[in-house]
Amino acid sequence: MSAADVATPVRAGRAGRPAPVPPRRPAGRWRAVAGWAAVLALTALTLAPGIGVEVDLGALARNWQNGADKIVALLQPDWSFFPRTVEPLLETLQMAVVATAVAGVVSLPLSLWAARTTNPHRLLRGAVRGVLNVVRAVPDLLYASVLVAMVGVGALPGILALVLFDVGIVVKLVSEQLEAADTGALEAARAAGGTQLQVNRSVAVPDMMPGFWNQLLYVLELNVRASSVLGLVGAGGMGLLIDAVRSFYRYDQLSLIILEILVVVLVLEAVSSAARRRLV
Amino acid sequence: MSVGLRAAQGTATSSEVAVPAPWPVRMRDVVVRYPNGVTALDGVSLDLEPGEMVAVVGLSGSGKSSMIRTLNGLVPVTSGTVEVGGHDVTAARGRALRALRGEVGMIFQSFNLAGRATVLQNVLVGRVAHAPTWRTLLGAHTAQDRAVAYEALDRVGMLDRAWHRASHLSGGQQQRVAIARALAQQPRAVLADEPVASLDPPTAHGVMSDLRRVNRELGITVVVNLHLLDLAREYGTRLIGLRAGQVVYDGPAADASDRVFEDIYGRSIRPDDVLGS
Amino acid sequence: MTDPASAPARGAARRTLAGAVVPPPRPARPGLRALSATVVVVVVAAFWSVDIAWDRLADLPSEVVRYLWLMFSAPDWSALPEALWQTWRSVAMAWLGTVLGILVATPLSLLAARGHGPAPLRGALRLLFAVIRAVPEIIIAIVILSVTGLTPLTGALALAVNGVGTLGKWGYEAIEGIGRGPVEAVRAAGGSGPHVLRWGVWPEVLPAFGSFWLYRFEINVRSSAVLGLIGVGGIGDMLTSYTQYRQWSTVGVLLVVVVVVTVAIDAASGALRRRIMEGARARAVQP
Repeated sequence: MSAADVATPVRAGRAGRPAPVPPRRPAGRWRAVAGWAAVLALTALTLAPGIGVEVDLGALARNWQNGADKIVALLQPDWSFFPRTVEPLLETLQMAVVATAVAGVVSLPLSLWAARTTNPHRLLRGAVRGVLNVVRAVPDLLYASVLVAMVGVGALPGILALVLFDVGIVVKLVSEQLEAADTGALEAARAAGGTQLQVNRSVAVPDMMPGFWNQLLYVLELNVRASSVLGLVGAGGMGLLIDAVRSFYRYDQLSLIILEILVVVLVLEAVSSAARRRLV
Repeated sequence: MSVGLRAAQGTATSSEVAVPAPWPVRMRDVVVRYPNGVTALDGVSLDLEPGEMVAVVGLSGSGKSSMIRTLNGLVPVTSGTVEVGGHDVTAARGRALRALRGEVGMIFQSFNLAGRATVLQNVLVGRVAHAPTWRTLLGAHTAQDRAVAYEALDRVGMLDRAWHRASHLSGGQQQRVAIARALAQQPRAVLADEPVASLDPPTAHGVMSDLRRVNRELGITVVVNLHLLDLAREYGTRLIGLRAGQVVYDGPAADASDRVFEDIYGRSIRPDDVLGS
Repeated sequence: MTDPASAPARGAARRTLAGAVVPPPRPARPGLRALSATVVVVVVAAFWSVDIAWDRLADLPSEVVRYLWLMFSAPDWSALPEALWQTWRSVAMAWLGTVLGILVATPLSLLAARGHGPAPLRGALRLLFAVIRAVPEIIIAIVILSVTGLTPLTGALALAVNGVGTLGKWGYEAIEGIGRGPVEAVRAAGGSGPHVLRWGVWPEVLPAFGSFWLYRFEINVRSSAVLGLIGVGGIGDMLTSYTQYRQWSTVGVLLVVVVVVTVAIDAASGALRRRIMEGARARAVQP
């Protein structure tokens, strides 16, 4: 009691007046509480034995020695393996570049079709968006595994998978950017008597280009990362090699491959962020 | 009142491109009602002669923006007819409407330029209705289209900025480029919707002078929406007052007294109704 | 008729002999030129050199139609219960991976933010985030499985590690993006470092963090399906084996399940994210 008195000397000075009372706490706090409770419950469910992700600590302990050896191997890259990685690494880069280029050509008109401001036809717009929503829902590696069955192993299914994946992303981001942009110039071109095609080409395209290149750079980065693993399902590039060294447990070679991917991705990131600064 | 203005044509320009004859405007009982129930125009009938410089004055919400947009079909009319150059705008659809719009230049309050495109690309937008679609798509403009665009830029003094990005220009310069875009259409009428409302006073006078020169030297019919009475008086040859979607004044601009403006605004004149200089 | 703003330059333009006006020459931009030339060369070289039987591309449309027909003309719905069960295992993997990633990434992102953590540690953490982000999660899973074996836990851990890379980066960027005001207010009231974090930083970044967490969960749902390819379980595992055995009528059903579940989770999480961000905005306007 006395501690509280010391801590609130102001109240003592206001003797005689009723102590100030804030308005009641607004209702709705229970939502935050319920939210956190739901998160906890779901997490518990995912850990529950039998129905969730089983965590077998005993097995972890038993595997530990085996795992530790692998980690040690990871820390000692097998540099002599380098010559064999050059060709797959190049193929990975080729796939990424080709896929980005194709995706750029395909998504430019699709972006214009998918945006309200550049395509007044609701049905056509809805169709483009609906198809792309479905396309985006499938991860690139699943496309690759199905496409490998369709057109055979090699770089081709990998490129096709990347293109599908890229078009989904680029069209979504660029069409959102188009819809957020000011529509005044479009109105002016319409007032000058342009068809929708002419309006889009002469006004919307020049305005969207910096953003469009930006997104293409972004998917190029994603492609390099993704195409390095597409080979796991037979779709060409570095992934074929990863699959091979993994089945022989050559973690020293895997470590070299990871290092190479790391260097390529980080270099590309640095280059593209420099290019991006010049775009804006 | 427009007689004689045409005489200036031909002597003032060295262009090889012939200036087409200006268009009259005729509105009969035009009503515009928006889907939300607001009546923007309530029975407007007007005859604008070829080569006039008409200032349309009214408070915001008086319907002047809707009126100017009915003249090129950007706003569809609910009833009544609009004829521009003898062509029925209300009945025109598709190709015919686009051809008609191609003959009518429009200037906007917020300039409406493609900011990341060059000045020249923006002015060439004025040629879309006069070029086949494939040329626009490939960006393969004819030498003549380019010549028209250069001429238009020269007329507003912006030719030396042809390769600049539009967004890098000042507001007044952007509005000049927008005027050049309208001129590149080789229009028979120019509509300007509050062209100087976003500009400071000296720049506003510069842009209004450009519009006046378009009217005097090329003889083009100009309809300009304004809310400032001194600009309307100085630059218009004819004044049209709109209040609540109806024409409440129609007469020579120079004669319009403050009383006339008070009548149009439906309230006394305030300092912000005047631009000054 | 004074016209100060537009008087110069008009009519002073160069003219050709015939009298037509011409603009100043188009400015040369050597940097841009070199850049576009490089891009063209790289793209052409990639197309030229990539080892593809281009003639197979001609058969592609008919092949796609044929396989779509195989998959969806007579879907084998008997696999649906098992597919839903495996999808739940994938989603559980994604959820656990997200939660673990959040638990590790949140303190690390506070330490990596300028003004809150020690400078040397900051550099090291940022490098760590960048390195993690550069490695695809499936490779992380391959590394981890040497210890954890081919179990869903491997998948969850791989997603968690990868999540630390992205959540850590988004996190410190968000913390550095808040204004100095709230932080200074707590300092001015005599607050220590932890006080600043709890009362100055945390309330400011919580909506953004909540949004990142949900977004990361969406990413993990997609990735968890992919991780099945190396055999850690879930819908991806099932899809791989049915594709290998070319049971197309079942593969079609599995793809439908993946698409429906992903789209549904995206929609729910997206709606939640919008509500979080709108709530944050409403509070900012109306304190």
